[in-house]
Amino acid sequence: MKERLETIRQQALEEIAHSAESEALEQTRVKYLGRKGELTQILRGLSQVAPEERKAMGQAANEIKEAVATALEKRKKDLEAKELEEHASRNRADLTLPGRRPRLGHKHLISQVIEEIVDIFSGMGFQTATGPDIETEYYNFESMNTPEDHPARDLHDTFFVKDGVVLRTHTSPVQMRVMESAAPPVAVVVPGRTFRVDNDASHSPMFFQIEGLLVDKGVNFAELKGALMHFVHSFFGKGIAVRFRPHYFPFTEPSAEMDISCTVCGGQGCRLCKHQGWLEILGCGMVHPQVFRYAGYDVEDVTGFAFGMGVDRIALLKHSIDSIHHLYENDLRFLEQF
Amino acid sequence: MRVSLNWLREFVDFDLSPEQLADHLTMLGLEIESVERLGQDIKNVRVGQIRSIEPHPNADKLTVCQTDVGDGQPLQIICGAANMKVGDKVPTAVDGAVLPGGFKIGRRKMRGVESQGMMCSETELGIGEDAGGLLILPEDVSIGTDIVSLLELDDVVFEIEVTPNRGDWAGVIGVARELSASLGEELELPDIHLITSERQQAADVSSVTIDDGELCPRYAGRILVEAEVGESPAWMKARLHAAGVRAINNVVDITNYVLIETGHPLHAFDLDTLAEKRIIVRRAEDGESIRTLDGVQRKLDRDVLIIADAKQPIAVAGIMGGENTEVGENTRNIFLESAVFNPRFIRHGSRSLGLITEASQRFQRGADPAMARYALDTAAALMREYADTDVLEGVLDEYPHPERPRQVTLRYLRTNEVLGDEVPPHRQSKFIQNLGFETVEETSTASTFRVPTWRHDVKEEADLIEEVARLHGYGAIEPEIPKIARRGEDLAPEEMRLRRLREFVVGLGYTECITLAFGNPEDTQAAGLNGGAGEMVTLMNPLSEKHSAMRTSLLPGLLRTCAHNLNHGVDDQALFEMGPVYFPRDNQTLPSQHSHLGLLLTGRRRPPHWSEDDADTDFYDMKGYVEAILEYFGLQSTFRETRQPTFLSGQAAEILAGDKSVGSFGQVAPGASRAYEIDADVFVAEFDLDVLLAIPQSPPQYRPSPPYPPYLRDMAILVPRGLPAGDVISVVWENGGELLKDVQLFDVYTGDRIPADKKSLALNLVFQSHEKTLSSNDTQAVWDRIVAQLQERLGAALR
Repeated sequence: MKERLETIRQQALEEIAHSAESEALEQTRVKYLGRKGELTQILRGLSQVAPEERKAMGQAANEIKEAVATALEKRKKDLEAKELEEHASRNRADLTLPGRRPRLGHKHLISQVIEEIVDIFSGMGFQTATGPDIETEYYNFESMNTPEDHPARDLHDTFFVKDGVVLRTHTSPVQMRVMESAAPPVAVVVPGRTFRVDNDASHSPMFFQIEGLLVDKGVNFAELKGALMHFVHSFFGKGIAVRFRPHYFPFTEPSAEMDISCTVCGGQGCRLCKHQGWLEILGCGMVHPQVFRYAGYDVEDVTGFAFGMGVDRIALLKHSIDSIHHLYENDLRFLEQF
Repeated sequence: MRVSLNWLREFVDFDLSPEQLADHLTMLGLEIESVERLGQDIKNVRVGQIRSIEPHPNADKLTVCQTDVGDGQPLQIICGAANMKVGDKVPTAVDGAVLPGGFKIGRRKMRGVESQGMMCSETELGIGEDAGGLLILPEDVSIGTDIVSLLELDDVVFEIEVTPNRGDWAGVIGVARELSASLGEELELPDIHLITSERQQAADVSSVTIDDGELCPRYAGRILVEAEVGESPAWMKARLHAAGVRAINNVVDITNYVLIETGHPLHAFDLDTLAEKRIIVRRAEDGESIRTLDGVQRKLDRDVLIIADAKQPIAVAGIMGGENTEVGENTRNIFLESAVFNPRFIRHGSRSLGLITEASQRFQRGADPAMARYALDTAAALMREYADTDVLEGVLDEYPHPERPRQVTLRYLRTNEVLGDEVPPHRQSKFIQNLGFETVEETSTASTFRVPTWRHDVKEEADLIEEVARLHGYGAIEPEIPKIARRGEDLAPEEMRLRRLREFVVGLGYTECITLAFGNPEDTQAAGLNGGAGEMVTLMNPLSEKHSAMRTSLLPGLLRTCAHNLNHGVDDQALFEMGPVYFPRDNQTLPSQHSHLGLLLTGRRRPPHWSEDDADTDFYDMKGYVEAILEYFGLQSTFRETRQPTFLSGQAAEILAGDKSVGSFGQVAPGASRAYEIDADVFVAEFDLDVLLAIPQSPPQYRPSPPYPPYLRDMAILVPRGLPAGDVISVVWENGGELLKDVQLFDVYTGDRIPADKKSLALNLVFQSHEKTLSSNDTQAVWDRIVAQLQERLGAALR
């Protein structure tokens, strides 16, 4: 009996070692450990063994069973690994073949820039407001302290729809529309289309602006600077230098233009900044008392600041685009870059 | 405006490098657009005197000159000019000299004769346009003097952007005044030493009449007699050149020179051409006309202010002189004008005549009546010196409307409130005083100032606060993040919804376009849309025919964009635009503006892939996107066949959400494609987002999903070929009872295996219960009813 057990053990281990596939291995398992397997039968037949030998035999048979089971398990793992490897070598994906891609859409660069700017200001508490593209001269000019025959009107080459009605030349008229409809405090940003009779290398007859207006008790120039510097640092990066220099707009007093250090040369001077080291980004200032009077606000009670920036220019600067006309040509090879 | 550094230094003393000065002026609000260095590259050009002129042995047009440049031995120079004579002093480039542009001069042979240098014209020195001959220098200059120092060619020119509010900055003195105020340096205006002739009184020769003092607050003139009209001195030409003004003759040059220096425009008339030698300032009569100095005959009307003599207009006041009274070579006697005109009237006249000049730009910003007189006398003194004229005693000075000086009060606390800074009161008042304002009254909290005559822009306290801020320095104010009080209501709630929609459409694979919001009737009608008279908002002054109106639809722009991209080899396109369209509106000042969404599809349905065959986009692709967009809004869409010239008939539908028409879609008609030069099948959709967004939306209400699995059963039926599939599906739904949960159409077949007038529809019916797992027994009754109804109502038969 003992010898038989030993023979089975050797045979089984040998057969396991020689099973080249999972299937053969399974047959080997059944042959020895299956319900009618040789070892199973021996274990089952232990009751007929003489009681004095039974214990030792049982122990021996169990040990062999363990050994065979362990060998089976190990061989099984090895074979599986081998088979997976073989499968992989037969079915390896070509990583260089293109995947099945869905069509990808792109948001227009102007929309992306507007959303980014609006989000920066809404983070500070500004709301979005809008107004009509076709405006009355009153809102576009007069209420913005730019009466008929004001020399500043020469700077706006205006499209006329009819007497007294124009394509708005800036988003500033929305300042007045907002102030007429709401009592202070008012904090808005106004993205929108604007129009001027101008079409050359650096001008498009339609372009986008974002206007900003904050009116409350005690709003001051220091806060104007703070808000706009926060914008620049969020949009262009922390390392950008900012300067404010006096300028003239009819609807602000004091007025300023804001420059940022050149995004290409960092202020050293290059072609983009005309060797000045600075790029003009936007116009701003403290709301002119005359504008408040038009709005029916009390000039002694509230102060405010306003700013307006050209979205196109800012987009061109940030993405090194050489012509505004790319923005409105809608060449897919351009649009898909953003 | 171009301002010379040397010229500025005549009026104010400062110790700043050109770069520092540029920066300083920019930070004061005089934005420097460019800095140009003059004369820097000129080397070794000296005053030479011509000792002899001999003909060149081998060339008719050349001469051989001996020119003394102070080195003892004269230089032999071959010269091509003809305007010089022996004894003339001329700029002479000696061996090793450099001219503007790095042009080097050395010894060389010209037609066999050695030339040891070059005598120069003003063009060659880069100081003028006259290339016709040598620049002849005054007799009294010393031989050998360096030309750069002699003519002050070593200069820096600043191009300054003058803002419309600051007419006073349009002259060298105005800029110097600003500089003096900001640096705390004295402004040194030279006294004018005008020597007048007593041989006649100006008033005995001529007279000035002003019709309307509102339009001409001041008109001053002087009479200059026996002038010698000729060339201006070289230094003046050099300065004019630096300022970007062409030299013409000494009289005109002096008026221009004084204009640049003082910012005040002058005009010189040939006195002998004036009828009765009279000056009348009046509105033009309708029907009058004048030929202006630019050679254009101009019709005048009551809205143009003119200068006239006793008979006719002789100048458009403040804008341009007339040809018939122009100062020329033969002019002997001159009426020199220095006036102030109403800015609004000048602007109006300038616009209606389409004539913008140095003078008109200055007058429309507001001239300084005090400067008018200063400029007149400065010019008269220069004329006496350089045009050899006598200035008659007396000024013809009509000043009917001396402006009452304005007074403005500044509250120191208010300044600091507006600026968010602490500028001490004494500094505030010092800044204002430095700018030429006089203090009328001063308390510990406020000061009242008299506004100088040149500051038309200062009207109220805010204007003074800006002056304090400018001189204090915008950079000195510490930035602070504003504390913003939030409002309750949203001012533009639709904006966020539009933004999310854009995001969604991009997610569907569409790329956003932004086209110009213009349009024109032809393009609009070519796209099959209404573009007739009264159907578009038209522009009075369009840039071009292409942009003569405002768009009424996004489709023309999308079709143009599609054509552009097809032309550039991009065949597969999924484009969209979200933006405004505009419609005329009766009885309203402003037209109506609607937000639209337009989609365009062409080319392959999906990006091509190596594993599968390409399929082209078709009608049902676009329909799927339209359905997806309505579903995004939580709306059920239905469709109604539509016939519009935009679309290929039978391939177009009106889009309905409930009972509201929200847009349309379909395949673009061949005619429209052709008009846009598109040779491809193109599918478009357009939504009116104003209508779509206005449909009330309620939050979706939860419906529990049945816990038991669905029972699925397929149905294949034959129906008449023309029957809409939707009719079949409706009948199925109507008879499906509670258990029917979904109906999916999964196949449509027409072909050989069925009669030609039939089509086969395959439907997948989904039954499901909240109570139990369904079997065929539970659904048989419903199934039979559906089949019976389909047969009865639609003539359908099970296959």
